[in-house]
Formats: sequence, C-alpha cells, structure tokens
Amino acid sequence: MSLTNPVLWSRLKSPWVLHFNSGACNGCDIEVVALLTPRYDVERFGIKLEPSPRHADVMLVTGSVTQQCAERLKRIYDQMPAPKFVVAIGACSCSGGVFRGNYNVLNGVDTVIPVNAYIPGCPPKPEAIIDGVVKLLNSLKPAKPAKEEKKNEPK
Amino acid sequence: MSQNETDMVTILQDKFKETSVQVQPAQLGKAAVIADTSTHRNVLKVLLDADEKTAVIAITGIDLGATLGVFYHLRTSKGGIMTIKTELPREDPRINTISDLMPGAVFHEMEVADLLGVVFTGHPSPGRLVLPDNWPDGVFPLRKDAKLDNLKMKETPPSEPEPSGDARIVKVVVGPQHPALLEPEKFALNVEGEIVRGVEPRIGYVHRGVEKAAESRTYLQDVYLVERICGICNSCHACAFVETVEKILKTEVPPRAKYIRTIILELNRLHSHLLTLGHAGLEIGYETLFQYFWRDREPIMDITEILTGNRVISSSMTVGGVRRDISKTDIPKIQGMLTDLRKKLPFYKKIYAQEPSLRMRMQNVGTLKRVDALALCIVGPTARGSGVDIDVRRDDPYEAYGEIPFKVITYNEGDTWARMNVRMDEVEESINIIEYALDHLPTGPFRVRAPRAVPAGEAVNRVEAPRGELFYYVKSNGTAYPERVKVRTPTFANIPAFLKTAIGENIADIPANFVSLDPCFSCTDR
Repeated sequence: MSLTNPVLWSRLKSPWVLHFNSGACNGCDIEVVALLTPRYDVERFGIKLEPSPRHADVMLVTGSVTQQCAERLKRIYDQMPAPKFVVAIGACSCSGGVFRGNYNVLNGVDTVIPVNAYIPGCPPKPEAIIDGVVKLLNSLKPAKPAKEEKKNEPK
Repeated sequence: MSQNETDMVTILQDKFKETSVQVQPAQLGKAAVIADTSTHRNVLKVLLDADEKTAVIAITGIDLGATLGVFYHLRTSKGGIMTIKTELPREDPRINTISDLMPGAVFHEMEVADLLGVVFTGHPSPGRLVLPDNWPDGVFPLRKDAKLDNLKMKETPPSEPEPSGDARIVKVVVGPQHPALLEPEKFALNVEGEIVRGVEPRIGYVHRGVEKAAESRTYLQDVYLVERICGICNSCHACAFVETVEKILKTEVPPRAKYIRTIILELNRLHSHLLTLGHAGLEIGYETLFQYFWRDREPIMDITEILTGNRVISSSMTVGGVRRDISKTDIPKIQGMLTDLRKKLPFYKKIYAQEPSLRMRMQNVGTLKRVDALALCIVGPTARGSGVDIDVRRDDPYEAYGEIPFKVITYNEGDTWARMNVRMDEVEESINIIEYALDHLPTGPFRVRAPRAVPAGEAVNRVEAPRGELFYYVKSNGTAYPERVKVRTPTFANIPAFLKTAIGENIADIPANFVSLDPCFSCTDR
C-alpha cells in the first residue's frame, strides 16, 4: 500500500485530529484530553491533536449541538480539507443523550454534518475512543482482494 | 438556623416593623423575607450593612402562575442563607436592579431577564446571556406557558463584535473554537498594544436548558440529568440535588451513606484540582508539568471506577443514600493508591511554591483584591486565594464534614500563583479527608427507601464543589415532577472575577490568569 498510495498510507499512519465541543458537559472532553497523557498516549499511533481545522483530518465532536454552536460546527467542518472524517464521541453527540428534546439542542451531530463513526458511552472510556478512531482508519484501507473476488462472483 | 441567621432575622424585624416586609424565620429550611418591588433594595442594604460578607448567591426567576417571582438568595458569613422574595405582575414584570449595590448580581439579573422575561430597570448591560442570538423575541423558556415545540428561529446573521471607535484598540476574539479553550465560549479582548483594556464575554454556547428539562422529568431521573450539567464536578451536582430533595422529604440519610458521599465528593475535588494544576502548566508553556499531573490523576479516576463503576460520571448518589456500598476488599486498595499520590505531593508543592520560571509567569498576574472579591460575590478557591475565608464545608457542614477535621486554605496575595497554591494545598487536605473517612467508616445501611412523590415544599441547599459554592433551589408541588429546579454554579459567580482581573494585564498572561479561575462553562450555561 505504501508504494501504490502514499497519501492514504500517510493518512492512516498519522491522522491529525481536531477536537470540537458543541455543547458537551466536559466529561467526554476531559477523556479526549486524557488520550494525550501518559497512560493512553495516542501519539504512539501517530494521532496528534491539531488546533487548526485547516490542518486536521478527523474531527472529534462531543456534545449534543446547541443552537448557538450549530452554525459554528458547520463552519469548522467546511474549513477542513477533504477527505475529512467526523467521529461523534459520547451519547450526546450520537443522539442528544440525556438532553434529547430540550429546547436549545439539536439532538446529535448528524443533524448538522455527516458522521463517519459513532462512539457511545457517557462518557466513553479512553480505550473506547481509541478503538473507534482505529476502526474508522481501518475502514479506509482498501478492501482485501479476497473480498473483492467475492463481490464479483455471479449470484 | 445558625446564630448569624438568627441575628439577621432580629435586625430585619426591628428595622421593618411597620412596613410591608415580612420576615419568616423557618421558610426553605433557612430564613426568608417577603418584600415587594419597592422595598427589596432596602432589605439588601440592611443586610449589607450588618455583615461585610453578605453576597448574592443566586437570583431565582420562577413562574408562580398568576405572577412571576424573583427570589434573591443571599449568603451571610456564618453559614446562613437569606432569601428575599418578590412577586411581579405577569403582564409588565419590572423591578429595580440591585447591581449598583452588589456588582456581583449583574449576570444573575441578565439570566433571569433572558429566561423569564423580567426587566431589571437600571441594569448596566441588558442583553442576551445564555440564549442563542437567533432566539425568537418574546419566548421565555422558564415560563410555564412558553411554546417551545417547533420553535422558529430568527433569520439573523451571526453577530460579530463591532469595531471599537478608538483606533489604538484592537479586538482579539478568542473562541468559540480555540486551542486554549476546551469549551466553546467567546471572549473579545480589547487590546491596546500588549495590554488588555477590556473583555466582552459571550457565553451561552453550552446552554442546554437543563433547568427547564428538570421540570418534565421525575426526581429520580433528574439526579442523572443534573449530574450531566458538568462532567468534572458531576457528583457535587448530584449530591446537592438529592440533599435538597431530602430536605423537602425530611429523609434522614444513614451515617454510612454520608461518609461514602463525602469520599466521592472529595475524589471529585481531587481529580478536578489535579486537572487544573496540570492545565495551568500547559498554559504557561510547562508541558511536562501537565503530563505529570495528568499521569497522577489517573489513579483517582481508577478509585472512582472501583467505588462507582465509572471513571467520570459516577451516578452514585440517589435520594436516601448512595447506590453502591464500599466493599471491605477495596479499602486497602484505595488507601494504597492515595498513599502513592501523597508521596508525590512534596515534589509538586516544591514546583508550585519555588520554581522560578513558574513564579515569574504567575506571581502578580491577575491580582484580585479582597475587597473586590467580596463585592463581586466570588466563591471557592478564587475567593480563598484573595484572603476571603469561605468554605461551605466548614461554614454550613453537610454530609460528614461536620465530623471530619480539615483545614480551610487561604492565601492573601490574590494573584494567579496564590489561587493555584490554594488548590495545591487542598489536594493534600482532600487526601486527609478521604483517609479519615475510610478509617472511620460507620457500619449500617448505605441507603434508605425514599418515596417517589415529594410533598409540596421548597428548599435551598449548597455544597462546596471543586470550583466553589454550588447552590440548588428546588420547589415541589406534590407530584413526582419538580415545579422548579434552580442551579447556580460556582463558575457563574466567578465570571466577574475574570472580567476584573484581565484588565491591565499583558495579553500573554491571559491564558494562565483564565485557567487559575478554573472556569467550567458547561456549568455556567447549563
């Protein structure tokens, strides 16, 4: 893969993530920061927290998306260069969670921007967040040849 | 009622013998004063003259059906809460501001105006506080008749700060998405050269309408809802709420539950303080300190997981006690982890007290004088760093704090360094409290059965959260659903401190100053 598609190879080996809080309670956000600290240390996978959306590959969104944040969330998503991926972290960003139906929330990130991976939990453990991001990256790998052959088989 | 509260009631009764002010000593479990729109300022003046530590805790706006109520909850120095109750006509709710007597009330009044539609005459800066910019006019969520389904938002472009008239002043906008902020809030700094001349905050990005949502959920469901106001001090929220409900129910919690609650509350404080102490290191460019503190914070998360089953949101409080007992086999494990942490403290204390580069970045930065801290109604470690000796755990003991010996840490410098050192010393006090509680854990049941429906009544309550005094007011109407839940969080009370301390500072010192106030905006906005 490294020879045939160097861009994809480098993306899989070093995804830069942007963290956006769209109205979360800090529970998930602290767990996202905990990922960078010695016990979890996601930099060993090449995952780096990137402050600017213009340099980021993956956006980690927490929170149930408040009315005031929705416009900003869309704007930051638009600022990211393609191909871009969105991971919704926590029950709130997946569906609105405990705040679902409140007057000032929009019930989840996918009401505003497309989402590639959902990580449920309130808050999800750091291990679960790592697992979710790694699963997202694995899904970007080209399908194995055996799978493709199967697809082409006549029914 | 505490001694101080009784004194206050006597003073008020003498002063307002022949007017329309009624003093009710036993309402809300604390004292309450019924005033009207013309006398509420006089009552406040009398209380301010009698005690320099009188401060506004919260202003509750409540829909009483025929009228709208505005309740001023005031703190007196020795553990008392006085409530001044006023009622306003529904059609034209107007009341004179108290922000000239008590500058700390500015944001409280703005919130009531935003959510209930009360007009505060003479308010220095009326405007939106928590609701979004495109919120339709004339819809006030906390009114019972507000129609909030399928709301049509206004079509307005997102507001940008207006350029200032003075050509030397440059506006630097920080947020809502910014690497230094974990949370989406916006601060416009007016900068002249390198010096900050003013701060314009725009909060409300995390407003989720928790107070309204609490009215449509049962008391038991509300415990889980209020816990999610803040992921950092979640147990404090849950504990403050269940204590308030227990006050209305008149349920007595068994002693073992009180000790377990105390342990969980102190674990909350420990992990929050360690988090902030590390974060402050990050903001002054001392990333090693950040990594060290967060490494040593992980065992605290493990202890929380052992006790409650979850690392962060513990969901351990319930009306009548706690949901899980501490098993005998876990106690030595917890004690071992705490001993390990205690061994590391001298190293950290030395860094915070003596490290020259850290002192250069923190000393004499963002100084908040004691007199300002009192006038702005500042709470928690921020107030204690300015020499204001307040701590709810000692002044108004709840749970097992009355039986456990501990010190209240105060520093007199009032700068960023003092505020961080208050937290550094409190880490050790918290470990002492947990160890004492584990050694003296009473036997017996860890919860009692409490009824689902709560009789009509109201109660106020407060606990000392990691960031300061957390206040709850609950009014019940005899059903399984509360009539009104009011939450006043410590950061909400501490915003004026940031606006005050930032002025005149170098812009490079703003992040360290900001973090030393330990802001939590999910608490502030709810």
